[in-house]
Amino acid sequence: MSSLVSGTRKLLGRPSPLDRQVAGLANAVEAATGRLDEDVVENAAGVVERASARLRLSGDHTVVALAGATGSGKSSTFNAMTGLNLAAVGVRRPTTSYATACTWGESSSSELLEWLGIPPRHQVTRDSMLDTGLAERKLEGLVLLDLPDHDSTEVAHHLEVERLIEKVDLMVWVLDPQKYADAAVHDRYLRPLAPHKRSMMFVLNHVDEVPTDTREGMLHDVRRVLDRDGLAGVPLIATSARTGEGLEDLRAAIATRVAEKATSRTRLMADLVQAAKLMSEHSGTVPPPELGASSKQEMIDALADAAGVPLVVDAVRRSTRYRARQATGFPLTSWISKFRPDPLKRLHLGQGASGRDIMAAARSSIPQADQVQKARVESALRSAADEVTTNLTPPWVRAVRKASTLRFADLYDGLDHALVTTDLGLSSIPRWCRVVRVLQWSMLLVGILGAVWLTVLAGAAWLRLSIAAVPEYFGTALPTLMLGFAIVAGLALALLSRALIAWNSRSRARKADRRLRIAVATVADALVVQPIEVELEAYAQVWQGLSEVRA
Amino acid sequence: MRFSNPLPSQVPDDDGASAHATRMLTTLVQLRDTLEQIRLPFEAPDVAEVRLRREQMIAQLDDYVLPRLIQIDAPLLTVVGGSTGSGKSTLVNSLVGERVSEPGVLRPTTRSPVLVHHPDDAEWFDEARILPGLERTRRSTGDPGALQLVASSEVPRGLALVDAPDIDSVEERNRTLATELLAAADLWLFVTSAARYGDQVPWHFLKQAADRSAAVAIVLDRTAPASMAEVSSHLARMLTLRGLKDSPLFTVPEIPLDAQGLLPADAVADIRRWLITLGEDGGARKGVVRQTLDGAVRSAAMRAHEIADACADQTEVATHLRAEVNVAYDRALKEIDEGSADGTLLRGEVLARWQEFVGTGELLRTLESKVSRLRDRIVNAMSGKPQQAERLTVAVESGLQTLLFEHAEAAAERTDAAWRSIAAGRRILEERQVDLSRTSRDFHGRAERMIRDWQGAVLDLVRSEGADKRAAARFLAYGVNGLSVALMVVVFASTGGVTGAEVGIAGGSAVLGQKLLEAVFGDQAVRRLAENARRDLADRVTQLLDQERRRYLVLLDEEEMNPDSAEMLRHLARRIDDLRFVASQGNA
Repeated sequence: MSSLVSGTRKLLGRPSPLDRQVAGLANAVEAATGRLDEDVVENAAGVVERASARLRLSGDHTVVALAGATGSGKSSTFNAMTGLNLAAVGVRRPTTSYATACTWGESSSSELLEWLGIPPRHQVTRDSMLDTGLAERKLEGLVLLDLPDHDSTEVAHHLEVERLIEKVDLMVWVLDPQKYADAAVHDRYLRPLAPHKRSMMFVLNHVDEVPTDTREGMLHDVRRVLDRDGLAGVPLIATSARTGEGLEDLRAAIATRVAEKATSRTRLMADLVQAAKLMSEHSGTVPPPELGASSKQEMIDALADAAGVPLVVDAVRRSTRYRARQATGFPLTSWISKFRPDPLKRLHLGQGASGRDIMAAARSSIPQADQVQKARVESALRSAADEVTTNLTPPWVRAVRKASTLRFADLYDGLDHALVTTDLGLSSIPRWCRVVRVLQWSMLLVGILGAVWLTVLAGAAWLRLSIAAVPEYFGTALPTLMLGFAIVAGLALALLSRALIAWNSRSRARKADRRLRIAVATVADALVVQPIEVELEAYAQVWQGLSEVRA
Repeated sequence: MRFSNPLPSQVPDDDGASAHATRMLTTLVQLRDTLEQIRLPFEAPDVAEVRLRREQMIAQLDDYVLPRLIQIDAPLLTVVGGSTGSGKSTLVNSLVGERVSEPGVLRPTTRSPVLVHHPDDAEWFDEARILPGLERTRRSTGDPGALQLVASSEVPRGLALVDAPDIDSVEERNRTLATELLAAADLWLFVTSAARYGDQVPWHFLKQAADRSAAVAIVLDRTAPASMAEVSSHLARMLTLRGLKDSPLFTVPEIPLDAQGLLPADAVADIRRWLITLGEDGGARKGVVRQTLDGAVRSAAMRAHEIADACADQTEVATHLRAEVNVAYDRALKEIDEGSADGTLLRGEVLARWQEFVGTGELLRTLESKVSRLRDRIVNAMSGKPQQAERLTVAVESGLQTLLFEHAEAAAERTDAAWRSIAAGRRILEERQVDLSRTSRDFHGRAERMIRDWQGAVLDLVRSEGADKRAAARFLAYGVNGLSVALMVVVFASTGGVTGAEVGIAGGSAVLGQKLLEAVFGDQAVRRLAENARRDLADRVTQLLDQERRRYLVLLDEEEMNPDSAEMLRHLARRIDDLRFVASQGNA
């Protein structure tokens, strides 16, 4: 398909409206492949291929095909038009089994005929140099095809007709008095081809066999049958290949179309519009929607929950408190809490930079998302998909839904990975904690000094040794003051720190929460939002392409 | 269009043959009724063709085989059929010698079929024995639903001519009627022309005739005398190639018509002579009738097998679609069952509420073993703060809801995808224009109500269990609400599949709830209560999802199919073959 598109784009050296239409449909086909109904896409791809091939080929030539039932006189008409006895004529049915082509004019049509699949042995050229007639010169650029029948027992003939009918610029349907109302031509060809009425022309052949007084009535009846197919207003010419009656009219009608040099474009445009219409029916015509911010946020919240972000945030809070308390607690009692494990370590998180690198490859020990959380995630994905596809047609709804859960299997691994590799901001304890620690230890030192001093004093008193008087402040001995100060201030500091720590751990938890949610959002973006957006972009491309064709 | 009188009114005099004919007739009537009952609702390869074939079979049995079996002596019905513009009407008029059917240059011409019979044979056709679907009229009419009867002594006794509409024009009613008439014919007089004889459509009909060995005569009409020899030899070769070499081939050249619009008598003399001979020779006539009738019966038996195959395929498709629905919804049930019992519901909000309910989380974790001391706290919590039990109930509700919604959605989506992956399922969904890939609109409401009903039922369970213990101080202290919430918590961890870090939390909660209940009711009763509550929940979920499941199944049920009809068809076809064999032995 991409070669098709690039081929089409190459064509667009100087884009005409038709080129733009082809490119638009090509883009639509590219984006719709694998998303819309295969038949519809294939049909449009066929149209793109044919249209771009025809546009690349000679625009000076007009391919006109004589199509009709067996025995209607296609070959006779062909022979009468060319003035050569090229096509086999006979009473045996079916007579013609391959298409014959005749080209008027000097310019080469061999490429065009090759594209049409007419082998050289079935080609002939009417060089207008040899013709002096004005009528013949008017036909310059005409490629007239004599098709096999479409209604005989030879199925190969039908296939050949179907193949060529798709490619020719102007279809001249040869009807005859016996067969003009056959279901074979109306049901299979004319009614489906009604959108191409501007590329059609009808000939009622064998009029010589109809009594003159009933001819008018019959033409009227033919017109009635054609009107029923939706072909009102299409030219209808009564001819007789045998007597030559009406052939001049046919020649003139064809000459006019050849001279216009617009016939091939008319046909292609009808093809493109038709294919685009069919595709629009399947693809819908609403402008491309976008994924709303609120449904994105909902998804991220659900994912964060399922990934265990609240759990980790809580652990961050408790871990900060734990570590800071270790640092700032009253040294005499804080060692007891060392027997309790660090909450973050239990989850295998928060190892600092180097630890994180090792952990990046491993999984955390955060409990697997449970049924309820998974259910919430899936609901969030579903409602996001539903919301965005409210006005889209079923194929797109299915495509978006499929995309939303496409990478569901990778989701939990991705989330876990994001959690493990996120910096929780715990590599060091807060600076003020270090100061508090130094203070605590120095006060402890003061206390110990006081205690030692008191012990020495007590020892000296027991040994009845007299030493220098102990300095006193506020009526209390200095060592007692030192000891008392150390205990009271240490406990007070510890208590003060606790309040600070509580505030600090909460702020750190908030920070971690923010970082984790950003990480989760990144994962959600890659595994959920992007697949959905790819589908939405595809829809936008189809929509855009089709509206270019319609324009 | 039911065949009105299936019993034979005139039976052959030979007793054995009569019994045999009656058996054959009964079997064919049964075959017809079985065909009538058969439904081929599902999309499958070639199903459209089989549907059409079934209708054609019923039509042929009604229009031809059954009446003909009953009235084996009725006049030979010769249907003049062929393409539009091949000159059928002109031929019939020329054979009769007057304008009985209106020919024309405008296509398609004949609208209502014309039946020409000998005046003595009128009684056979006035009654609607053959072609019961067509109204009889004696006047010329354009109504395609009528059969115009014309009496003419030019037609030999014991033979009738029908001018059928064309088989290939844009007028679909013409084509249908022609097909019907040809199916009801004892003898086909198939008209083609030099311009027509290579067409696909007539040959399609002739092939059908050859397949069921109907008697066919071909008329090559409207052919220029100059090319007559070449065309007729080519046509003869084509006939031979297509298994119709025994059919007589007549030629009528394209010559000017007389003032009345008839062909000169000598142009149709051959055909006339042949028809008169056939009408006069009773044996030959009977032979033609028997050949066509036997061919029709044989092909009916053969086609019955084809239709039986298609029928069996349809049953298979239905079974497959049904299985897809059940697989998806059974899986949802199983997952909900697991999710509601393995402790995963005891996380997040439910856990938080539970801990808030029985005290602080910290305490719970450290003092888990000291149940007696804790019980006091619980008592306080429960008696003092009833609104916490309420909050826990709401948390349980929302947890269960999420679980139900999600699995119901997933099941709907899975079934939709599975159905869409096969043509028959896709067709059903597209025809009904329903989107079943989401849960039904009122599912959320019903699920919420179901959960509340279940919670109410749990409450009743606890209340009735506690009826005799009403006086017990503990029961009063905990309150019905508190105890039923504890029971729910126990139910949610009843399979004990709690893993990882929450083993201490969820498991602990459940253990705590269990101990609490045991203290009130005793452990035997608690086990029973938990079991009952769990089964009740499972039943309600099953009911809820069955309504969802039924949305799909109802689409299949609407196409009520009798699984035995395929077997019945085969059985009847075999019996017909047996009877035909017996008859052929008897004739030989």
